[in-house]
Amino acid sequence: MGSVLQNLKEQTKVKLRENLNQKYITRLLNIIVSKPVVLAYANTFSSKSDKYLNVFSLKQIKNAYSSHSPTAYGSLFLPYELFYSLGILPFLPEVIAGYSAGLGLADKTLKKASSNWYSQDLCTFHRSASGAVELDLFPKPTFIICTSLACDAAQKSFYLYAKNYGIEDNFYLLDVPYSHTPESVSYLSKQIKNLSMDICKKLGKKLDINKFKEAIELSNEFREWAIKVNDLRKTLVNYPLNYNGLNFILPFHGLAGSKDGVTLYKEMYKEFSRCLKKQKAENSGTKKTHKRILWLHLKPYYKNEIFQTLEEENCKVVFEEINYVYWDKLDPDRPFYSMAQKMLSHYLRGGLENRIDAILNMAKDYKIDGAILLSHWGCRQSNGGARIIKDSLNQYNIPALVLDTDCVDQNNSSKGQIKTRIQGFIEILNSK
Amino acid sequence: MYTCGIDVGSVSTEVVILNKKDNKIASYIIAATGSNSKEAAKKALEDACKKVGIAESDIKAIVATGYGRINIPFADKNITEISCHARGAVSLFPDLKTVIDIGGQDSKVIKLENGSPIDFLMNDKCAAGTGRFLEVMAGALEINLEHFADIFMKTKEKVDITSTCTVFAESEIVSLIGHGIEKNKIVKGLIYSIVNRITSMVERVGLEEPVAMTGGVAKNLGVVRALEEKLAVKIKIPDEPQITGALGAAYLAQKLS
Repeated sequence: MGSVLQNLKEQTKVKLRENLNQKYITRLLNIIVSKPVVLAYANTFSSKSDKYLNVFSLKQIKNAYSSHSPTAYGSLFLPYELFYSLGILPFLPEVIAGYSAGLGLADKTLKKASSNWYSQDLCTFHRSASGAVELDLFPKPTFIICTSLACDAAQKSFYLYAKNYGIEDNFYLLDVPYSHTPESVSYLSKQIKNLSMDICKKLGKKLDINKFKEAIELSNEFREWAIKVNDLRKTLVNYPLNYNGLNFILPFHGLAGSKDGVTLYKEMYKEFSRCLKKQKAENSGTKKTHKRILWLHLKPYYKNEIFQTLEEENCKVVFEEINYVYWDKLDPDRPFYSMAQKMLSHYLRGGLENRIDAILNMAKDYKIDGAILLSHWGCRQSNGGARIIKDSLNQYNIPALVLDTDCVDQNNSSKGQIKTRIQGFIEILNSK
Repeated sequence: MYTCGIDVGSVSTEVVILNKKDNKIASYIIAATGSNSKEAAKKALEDACKKVGIAESDIKAIVATGYGRINIPFADKNITEISCHARGAVSLFPDLKTVIDIGGQDSKVIKLENGSPIDFLMNDKCAAGTGRFLEVMAGALEINLEHFADIFMKTKEKVDITSTCTVFAESEIVSLIGHGIEKNKIVKGLIYSIVNRITSMVERVGLEEPVAMTGGVAKNLGVVRALEEKLAVKIKIPDEPQITGALGAAYLAQKLS
C-alpha cells in the first residue's frame, strides 16, 4: 500500500509539471489537504509531527489559493502574528519557491524570470517566485507585506509582485533600523500599528486588539515549545525517521501566532521526549560515535545527496541556525511594541557581530564538531559574512565549510563537487 | 607488502603501487581516463602490477580518489583528493603548510597543520583555472602545451586575457590572433590569467610556507614561475607532480592493510 501511495505521489508531481497552472494547483491542493487523502496517507508519515508539518504547511498554502479570505504575501523575517491578528492569510513566496524546486518546477519559473529580464545575480528564491508571479501560478494577493530586515532583494521583488498585480497601494514595507534602540522600537512599532490600521480600514473592519492579544499569546506558547524542542536537541541523537530541521522554515516563520504552530511544536516536544527517553534507556546517546554539525543558512530544496552523504559519513546535523529562538517573550498587552521587539531582536539585523554571537552560542550549546555554511547564490546578506563567520568558528577550533551552491536552481550546483567538498570536510573533522 | 592508490580524474587516471617495506614507489602509471573511468582504472592497475611483476592479489589495500573514486568497485575505500593530495605531498615534503593542486578539471588549495589538512578551497564550477583551460587555449593557438613554459620564460610582454569562461577566452584568443598579436604574448597572458585565479584562492585560504604544487599543471614551469612571482614564494614541485594524489591514496591505504 505504501509503495502504491508513493507511486501516486510521484505521478502527481509529474502531472503537476505537465499541467502547471493556477487552476490545477488549486484543485490539487484541495484534494491533497482533504480529509480522505490525509487519512489515506496517514501511515506514510514517519511521525505525527511529520504529518502536522506537511498538513499544516499545505493547508496554509491551500487556504491562500482557495479561501475567500484576503491573502497577503509575506516575506521571511516578518512577525506572522500580525497576519493572524488581522485575519489575513499568509502566503510566503520565498518558501513556496523552495517547495517548487522540490517539485521540479523551478526550471520553468526561473526560465520565465530570465526571459523577463530578472538578473541572473538575483537570489533564486526571489527569481523563481518572480517567474511564478509572471506565470500567474500564485494566488492573487490582496496585500503584500515585506521587510527590509536581513534580505535586500525581498523589498524590491515584493514591490514588483505588487506592481504585477496592480496593487501598489496595498504594498507595505516594514523598515527595520540597523540598531536596536528605544527609538528604533518606537519607529518600527508605529509602522506596524499604521500598517494594521490601514489594512483594517481597507478591509472595512475595526482593528480588534483582542485578536492581536490572542495571536501574541499563541506566539508565546509556540516560542515556549520551540525552546523546549531546541533544549531536547542538545542531547538528542536518535530523531524520528526523516526528521530534518531545515524543513521547518515555513512553520518557524509562518505559523508563529497560530494554533497550528503550537500544535506542531507541542507534538514535536512529545515525540522528541520519547526519543530521548528511549535513547537514555538504550544508552545509545552516551557514547559519541558521530560528528556533530551545525547547519548555517538554508538547504537546497531540489533532490540532492548532501544529507545522505552526511549520514553515510556518520555526521549528524544537531542544530540549524534557522530554528534558533532569538526573541524574548512578547507582551500581549503591547502587541505592536512586542512585534517590533521581535523583529529588532533578530540576529540578522545590524552588524555581522549579532549573527556571529548567535552562531557561537549555538556552537557552544550544541557542542558541535564543525559547521557547514551553505552559501546560497545571490544571498548577499549571508554570503557577505561567510569568511568572517568561518574565521570566528576557527578561533574556537571549530572547522567550518562554506558550501557554495544554490538552494533553488540545481543548474547552479555540481553534485560531484558538492560531494567532494563535504567528504573532504568530514575527513578533516575525522582527523581531529 | 604493497598498497595501491588510484586517482581517477576527468582527464587522466594515475595508479601508484607503494612498497611498505621501504615506503618507495614500486611502480606508477599515468593513463588517459577516456569515457570509461572504471575500465581505465582497471587497465592502469594491471599495467602498474605488470611493471612490478606482482599479481593484483599481492596488493593488500587499494584506495581510490579523484572524481571517479566512487566508481571503482575493486577499491577498498574511497577518500577525497583533498586528503590524498595532502598526504602525497607531505610524504615528499614533510614540513609543508600549503598545497596547490591544479588538475585537469579542478584546482584546489589545501592548508596543512602538522601534515594534515585543516582547510581547503576548490575552484568554482567552470574550467577556468584548470589544466583543461590551458589545453583548450593551446589548441586555439596551435601551440603544443609543452612549449608554453619556454615561451613564458622567453617572452617579456603579455596581453591581458579578460574572459574567465574557457569558451569566451578561446574566442578572445582567436580575435587577438586576428588582430596580429604575437602568439607568445598571448601565451604569457594566458598563464597569468590562470595564475591570478589560483593566487586569489591561495590568499583566501591563507598562504603559509612551505608551499608545494601538485597535479599535471605543475609540470608547466611557466605556471609555476608565474605563481612564485605572484605569491612571492618558492614552490616545491614533486619529480612527478601528476601522481601525488595516487601516491597519497597509496599511503592512506597502508592504514587499511
